[in-house]
This record gives sequence, C-alpha cells and structure tokens, in this order.
Amino acid sequence: MMPILEVRGLSKLFEGLVAVNELSFEVGEGEILGLIGPNGAGKTTVISLISGTLKPSEGELLFQGRPIDQLPAYRRAHLGIGRTFQIMKPFPGLSVLDNVAVGALFGTGGGQRKLNKARDDARHWLDFVDLGHRADQRADDLGGPDRKRLELAKALALKPKLLLLDEVMAGLNHAEIDEVVDVIKKVRASGIAILVIEHVMRAIQSLSDRLLVLHHGQMIAAGVPDQVLNDPQVVEAYLGRRRA
Amino acid sequence: MKRRIAWAAGAVALVLLVLVPWIATPTLIQFGISMLLLATLAQGWNIIGGYTGYACFGNSVFYGLGSYGTAIAMVQWNLPFGVGLAFGAVLAVVFAFLLGLPVLRLRGHYFAIATLALAEVMTAIISNLDIAGRNIGLVLPLLKGDTLFYELSLGLLVLATLTVLWISRSRFGYGLIAIRESEDAAAVMGVNTTLHKVLAFALAAFFSALAGGIHAYWITFIDPESAFDITLNVKMIIMAVFGGPGSILGPVIGAFLLSAISEVLSTQVSTVASLFFGLVIVVAVIFMPRGLADVARRFKQYGLRYFGENVKAHRL
Amino acid sequence: MDLLLQILANGILLGGLYALMALGLALVWGVLNIVNLAHGALIMLGAYVCYYLFALLGIDPFAALPLAMLTLFCFGYLLQRYVLNLIIRAPMFNTLLITFGIEVVLTYLAQLFFSADFRTINPSYAGANYTLFGITLPLVRVLAFIIALTLTFALWLFLARARLGRAIRACAQNLVAARLYGVEPRHIYALTFGLGAALAGAAGDLYGVASQINPYIGGPLTAKSFAISIIGGLENPLGVVVGGLFLGIVESLTAAYIGPTYTDVASFGILVLVLIFKPTGLLGRTA
Repeated sequence: MMPILEVRGLSKLFEGLVAVNELSFEVGEGEILGLIGPNGAGKTTVISLISGTLKPSEGELLFQGRPIDQLPAYRRAHLGIGRTFQIMKPFPGLSVLDNVAVGALFGTGGGQRKLNKARDDARHWLDFVDLGHRADQRADDLGGPDRKRLELAKALALKPKLLLLDEVMAGLNHAEIDEVVDVIKKVRASGIAILVIEHVMRAIQSLSDRLLVLHHGQMIAAGVPDQVLNDPQVVEAYLGRRRA
Repeated sequence: MKRRIAWAAGAVALVLLVLVPWIATPTLIQFGISMLLLATLAQGWNIIGGYTGYACFGNSVFYGLGSYGTAIAMVQWNLPFGVGLAFGAVLAVVFAFLLGLPVLRLRGHYFAIATLALAEVMTAIISNLDIAGRNIGLVLPLLKGDTLFYELSLGLLVLATLTVLWISRSRFGYGLIAIRESEDAAAVMGVNTTLHKVLAFALAAFFSALAGGIHAYWITFIDPESAFDITLNVKMIIMAVFGGPGSILGPVIGAFLLSAISEVLSTQVSTVASLFFGLVIVVAVIFMPRGLADVARRFKQYGLRYFGENVKAHRL
Repeated sequence: MDLLLQILANGILLGGLYALMALGLALVWGVLNIVNLAHGALIMLGAYVCYYLFALLGIDPFAALPLAMLTLFCFGYLLQRYVLNLIIRAPMFNTLLITFGIEVVLTYLAQLFFSADFRTINPSYAGANYTLFGITLPLVRVLAFIIALTLTFALWLFLARARLGRAIRACAQNLVAARLYGVEPRHIYALTFGLGAALAGAAGDLYGVASQINPYIGGPLTAKSFAISIIGGLENPLGVVVGGLFLGIVESLTAAYIGPTYTDVASFGILVLVLIFKPTGLLGRTA
C-alpha cells in the first residue's frame, strides 16, 4: 500500500537557524502517526512545511505519490491536506457555522459551489465534534476547549485525506482530553490519515500507531510507542519533563 | 415578514430616487449626482477594503483612469461616451491586474502606503503626458441636462450595491471574508488568496473607473489634480467605514449621510464643512469604529453603553 | 562635472532636511505603531509658529527653533494623551483614519487663522551663499542641514542611552513588561508623540526658511515623509538619514536631467519599488 505522505530529506533554514534537518518519514493510509519532541524541536515547522504555509529549503514532499513541495497552500488543501493551527486562527467576525462553511466551500477537490450545501455540510461537521449547539455564535465568543473543537471542525470540513493536528489538547483538562481523543479516533475510523503533534503523553500513546521523535529538527527515534518512549535517547531529550 | 417589509421599503426608496430629476431643484439634482458617485466609490472600496480587509488608499487611481480614459476616447479619438466609458473601465481593470499582483502581496499598512504611493505616481505621470493634456487637462464635449447623468449615476450605484449583495452570499465572497478574518487560515483551507484579492481589487477598480468616467463627462473638464484627487480616497474610506464596512448598505448610507450633512453645513457656514468632516472622523473612530451598521446591530443589546465599550476596549 | 557636483550638493542638503522631516514620523511609527497622517500638518504648524515669531516679534528663525519645538511638543503631548491614547489598542487602520481627521481639522484651522496666502520666513541673510570648490551652497540650507543631522543624532543618542529613551523603547517592545517595571505607558506614549511633534516643528521651521508655506503643505509633506521612512527602513534609527539623503539626491538628479515635473514620479515610483521588493527598506534586513 502506497503511503499517503512521503517526506524525503526535508530541511528548513531560517537565517542561519536549522529548524528542520534532513527529515525523512512516511505516513501510511489510515495511520495515526504521532510527532513528539521537546519545545523548539521543529514540530510545528514540519506541519507548516507539509501544509504549504512554509516552503522547504531542501527536500521532497510526496502526497499520494505526487510531488507537492512547490504547490501553494491552497492547492494542497484541494488535494486533501488539512491542518489545525497551534495558535488557533478562527475567523473571529464570522459565526461558528460560517467558519466551518469556508472549509466546506474550498476543501478537497475545490469544495462545494453552493453556499447552502456548504452550510449543511458545516452543520454535519459541527455535530461530529459536538459543537452543533453553538453554530450561530460568533467565533470569538467561544471558550478555549470549544475553540479547539472549532479548529478541528474547520479542518474536517475540507474532507481531507491527511489531517495535520498541532497540539489540539494543550490546556485541556483530563475529561476534555478524553473527548478529543474519541473524536480523533472517530476521524481515523472514517479512513483519514492523521499526523498528530502532542505534548500530552498518555493521549498520544493511546492514539498513535507509530511515534516519531524530533529533537533540534532531527529525528532521533521512530517506532511503536512503547519502544520509542523507553528509548534512552528519547528519555534524555525529555530529561526534566514530567510525563502526563 | 420583516424581510418583505425591508424589500418593499427599499423598492419604494429606489423609485423615489429615480424620480428625483423630475421633482427636485437643479441644485439638489447636482448634489444628488455627486453623492451617488461618492457612494459608488465607497461601495467599490467596500469590496476590497470592507470585505477583503485590504485598506486600499489608491482607488483614486482607477477613478482617474476612468476619467482620463473616457476623456481621451471622446476628445482625442472622437468616440461616443459609451465607448469612452468602456475604454476607461477596461484601462482601470487592466491596471488593477498589473499593479494588484505585486502590491497585494503586502499586508496591512504597507499595502495602504503602497497604494497611496501609486496614487501619487499616477498623478505625476499623467501630468507629463501629452495625450492627456499634461497639466492643463482636457475639455470634454458638453451635454446639457443633468437628468441623464443622474440616472446613470443611480444605475451605477445600484449595480455596485447588487454586486456587493451577491458577494455577501457567494462562495467568492466567503473567500474574501475568510482572507480578511485570517489570511493564513484561509490559504490552508483552500482559498486561492491571490486570485481572490486581485479580483476584488479589479472589481473596485471597475466601479471606480465608471464613476470617474461619468463624472468627467458631467463636469466637462478634467485635469490631473481633480481626476486623481487623493482626498477622494480618504473620503470614500471615511464614508464606507462610517456606514459600516463589510455590510451591504453601510457605505451607501455613510455616503448619503456625510454628504448631506456636509452640504447643509457648507451652505450655512461656508467652509466649516471641512472642519465638520474632520471632527466627525475623529469622534466616529473613537466611539463607533465599526460604523453605523454595527451600531444598529448592537444598540438593542447594549444601548448607549456601546460607545463607552468601544473606548474601553481600545484605549491604553 | 561641476554641474553634477552642484546637483549632488543640492540633493544632499535637501536630503538633510528631508531626514529631519521624516524623523518624527518614523519615531512615532516605530515606537507607538501609529501611522500619523497628520504629521505634515504638524510640520506646517511648526512653520507658522516660526513665521509669526519672526513677523511679529522679529525673532530669528534659527533662534526660534527651540520655541517651535517646545510648542509643538506640548501640542503633541496633549493630542496623544487625550485623543490618540483612546484608540491605541484598536486595529492600526483606525490610527490612519483618526490622524487623517486630525489633519483635516488642523488644515482647516490653519486656513481660518492664518489665511491661505503663501508666506516665507525671510531673515536678512536669506540670500547668502557659501562657495566651496566651485559649488554654491546657500547659507540657510547648510544651516538647516547641520541642524537636521544634529537633531537626528541627538535623538538616536537619546533613545540609546538616556533613561527616558530606554523607557520609550521598552514600551515599544513589551508594554506589559514595561508596566511591571514602573513605566507609566500613557505618559510615555504622550512623551514620545510629543517628541515626534517637536521634531516636526523643527522641520517646519527650517522648511519655512527654505521654501514657501501655506496651510495645505501638510499632505504632500506627509506623503514624502512616508516615502523617506520606508525607503530608509524603520528598523534602524539612522534609516531616515539614508532615506532622506537618497531621496534628496534622486530628486535633485531627476529635476536636473529629466525635468522638474518628474520628481514626484521618481520619489513615489521608488517608494513603490521598495515596497514591492524590499519592504524593510534600504537599511533593513530582508524579511
């Protein structure tokens, strides 16, 4: 089975700082790949490079076998790559429903043409993440956990084939984390491949099929969660961090 | 039910507006033409500034291109008015595409300044061109009777407003709004931001140019200073922002109100109109930065506290 | 060759004045994030202050410079403290609008009180010239150039070394942290704007000696100050000097070799090019 995403020798330099250093990995179809590492390891940069928000300095990106590293972000969205932002970017002046409707209008394959149909789709996704009751509120009136749900719904409305999640659980309590984990499992059950960045260890342990550990922009370990989390190099990179 | 009443009221208002040349004094008709053209400019700005969030200070360029396009076509090449208008509009749209692509890559105030600079450059270039009559300008053929100009201006405003109405309900418009609210998020959600921005820019250019062309023929004389009048930019922005950017009727109401009050004041107390304008701007930006449309929307909930809330939210 | 030297000299002297003009704008923009469309009007007011001091009291314009600066400083302080501070945390676009409104009001009031007639400040030495290596250097322009550069350097020194200057820079970088250190932002902001206004006042004084003034010079001067600030780059305080000199020389060359009516095309054309290709300015690092 062809992997849905292939990353080969990916590098990103920022004015002398090497943020990502010759990274190579694959995401299989329907797989959940966890991406972990200490702060500043370059994880969000990797997501930005895949989604097209940033252009790589070197390396190749292949999505379903097609090279995408020169494509602008909106084209990658049309191909089926969706992402959430760690520092959330809702459309503040729009209603929650319309926020998600934008995704439905411009998503995979170019999205919906009709506004009405897009709004119907948006309602479906809001229900999926359990935010349906807030459809008509303004996006900037939402509290923290609801904003995360909205961010997720917006990405899902694109009907992506690959979903890139950037720390969707930051700042949530235990019960809320469990809810989000359930939603992510639902997403995977519908066939979508997911690349998850997380710091909440128990969540990412239970979710991921495989784990990738990044440190100073380089991959230092890869494999199944149990194996990776006991790897002495990984432990050393995290020395001093509590495991949730 | 409420919507039906609103539509009916709108239709009645429109009919009244159409009938103005037959029921009003000549001065009032002239005032009406100026006001309708300004309202069109404000609506044009609304598309790029209000809906897309790119505060453009350069629509005067397109207004001027429309004026000069029409004038040159009629004066130098002896073409009829309609062709002149079309020529002016095409000229403006082509410029919008050419200039838009590099300039729309800039964000925020850099974009604003770039468009302002473009406006200055155009004025300077035109005043050096012979075909445009250099600094002296051009004199257009005279057409007596303001009725035609009035109805044309009204028609243009209606067209512009209908366009904005369409934008507010279309996929294209949602793309523009997404760009305004968060351009990065819009891009990763599949919005072709460059295309959307340039099209919005071109639409604004289109309407500005037509307004310029009508104005030129009406006034029968243009020169670089008046055709590329930079203060037009701020006037149209003030009117759009005062009325409510990103709304359908806001700019129109803003234009009507501000023009009317300014006119009344200037007949009563000559040049105090400028002072009024300036003070209104300062007060409005402090107390109602999102325009009348937002006041209308929120007044029910907040009452007079609305104004105080705005200040509290924004002051140091 | 001599002609070229003369043209360059003219350009450099003009550039010094330009740098001073833009200095206040760049300061307020860089530190307070306020895009002040009324900056030219402040220059205009400074010019009128000096004009009336000269016409009514016979005070020499160069002696009147500190007075003009003081007057404009007070005006700027009050304006920021009681008007502009009200919208500081609003989107930056609002500062554009409100300062435009202020510009309209100031221009109108100037026209009301000073009339629309053109004026110049004409001290007895106005026509005097130095001659150096065959180049004619008008005395007033040389003095203006020296004062402009002195003030620019003084400002740079103030921001870098003086306690107040550092407080200003602290506010610019991190308002919350600055507050924690006991800095009172409302006062500091007002001081900064006052300082910008004072510099505009100085520029106005020198401009009034070098050229004619009327209530409407504000707009074009604001536009030019923007061009200078952006071309030089806002990151570096010396950017205005580079921008000013660059623009002064470009305008001088354009006027001589292409034609005086093309100077605006050159200035604003370059501004557009800089914005498109290097928005951080000639001295800025690439974004």
